Amino acid sequence: MSQKLDEFEFFFAKEWSDGFPMVTPTEDRIQWMLSGTQRKPDEIVGRVPPALEAASVRTVAIHALMAGCKPEYLPVVLGGLELILREELNMGGVQCTMHGVAPLMIVNGPYARRIGLHGGNGCFGPGFRANVTIGRAIRLMLLNLGGGISGLASATIFSSPMRYTACLTENMERTPWETLAVSRGYRPDDDVITIAMVECPRLHFDDVSTEPHRLLRGIADSMTSTGSWNMWFKSNEVVAMSPQHAKLCADAGMSRGEVHELLCELAVRPQGNLKRGGNWRRERAIAMGIDPDNDDAPVKAVKDPNGLHLIVAGGFGPITAVCHGWNETSRAVHGTYAAN
Amino acid sequence: MSEQLWFVDPTAGGNKTKIPLAQRPIDLVGKVVGLIDNTKEQADVILETIAQELRDRYGVKDVIIERKEAFSKPATPALIDAMAKKVDVAAAAVGG
Repeated sequence: MSQKLDEFEFFFAKEWSDGFPMVTPTEDRIQWMLSGTQRKPDEIVGRVPPALEAASVRTVAIHALMAGCKPEYLPVVLGGLELILREELNMGGVQCTMHGVAPLMIVNGPYARRIGLHGGNGCFGPGFRANVTIGRAIRLMLLNLGGGISGLASATIFSSPMRYTACLTENMERTPWETLAVSRGYRPDDDVITIAMVECPRLHFDDVSTEPHRLLRGIADSMTSTGSWNMWFKSNEVVAMSPQHAKLCADAGMSRGEVHELLCELAVRPQGNLKRGGNWRRERAIAMGIDPDNDDAPVKAVKDPNGLHLIVAGGFGPITAVCHGWNETSRAVHGTYAAN
Repeated sequence: MSEQLWFVDPTAGGNKTKIPLAQRPIDLVGKVVGLIDNTKEQADVILETIAQELRDRYGVKDVIIERKEAFSKPATPALIDAMAKKVDVAAAAVGG
């Protein structure tokens, strides 16, 4: 054992880090982290693409530890990784793409609340240990086990701040509606994770609207854009309404489902508008079943309503966050996880 | 290495089987070359052009172009196996 070795510098030198210092994984600490699950340490959770290194429960615990998790976060990290490795999410494609989307984890259910996952003020950003470290643990495994390192397996042009961490829950204290998970048929006491590949949130500020249709028309406009893959693929999209915006709709008698449906309907641009720039191509229009010469043809941002993930999150104020998606080879996944 | 340190290597530990590289031919004369179309727009135009150049300039006997399911998904094992049976040399490249 070298007394001169600085473990923090060593982890940077070995490229085992996301660029921030990490908790050093000692055997004692790993055992402490493993106390967060009843699963056997040598159980294989899956292989992380594209390098396909195996993630065992112990390996996941090591990364959760390095990321700064508490042991009680480990079930969410394990559940999240299992979902991320589902084929339909196509994590391998995202690990290599020139795009910069990241798997956003939306955690619903009583366990999320118990461990302090945050869905209120600043929920995308710093300061909330469960959010930050669970998402970071996932990212560290995508780097260390999957090899999704920029310039190595990853051809990403910009990457994204969401590739440090991307995990939140809904604002259950202030939402007027049922959760995303319950809207999909889960029970309120189910512990559920939904994961969608998305870009960073675009903040749609509307402190003017006093009725839902103006509000939703504006949000829907933010859901469409030249240069967005939502226009030319059957992509996912996440819309996180602030409680204030959600309340405006609920007070007018709108259910969650009605808001979802109206956003899908309103998030549309005429093809001629999308031809002005961005990624319009004749072949892409034809692939979507659209006549490329018809400038009036409507192009929807959400081709399949299941591709829109509507949540209520954030603090009180007049903003809705909109996260555009990637391409149609990635379909969002959701499922329950065991909270022990 | 871990024995010398007081902390644990977080990677899976490199237990992978090493696969030797296939032997490279000295030239392409009389060979059958396989190219993978990744499905991006106009990949077919680029690959057909390359195929013609390979025939004209390097004496390639034939070029077989196969198409993946989607550009952001790997080629299936079935596609790789089928191509491996037909060609002497295969090339895959990303496009944009």
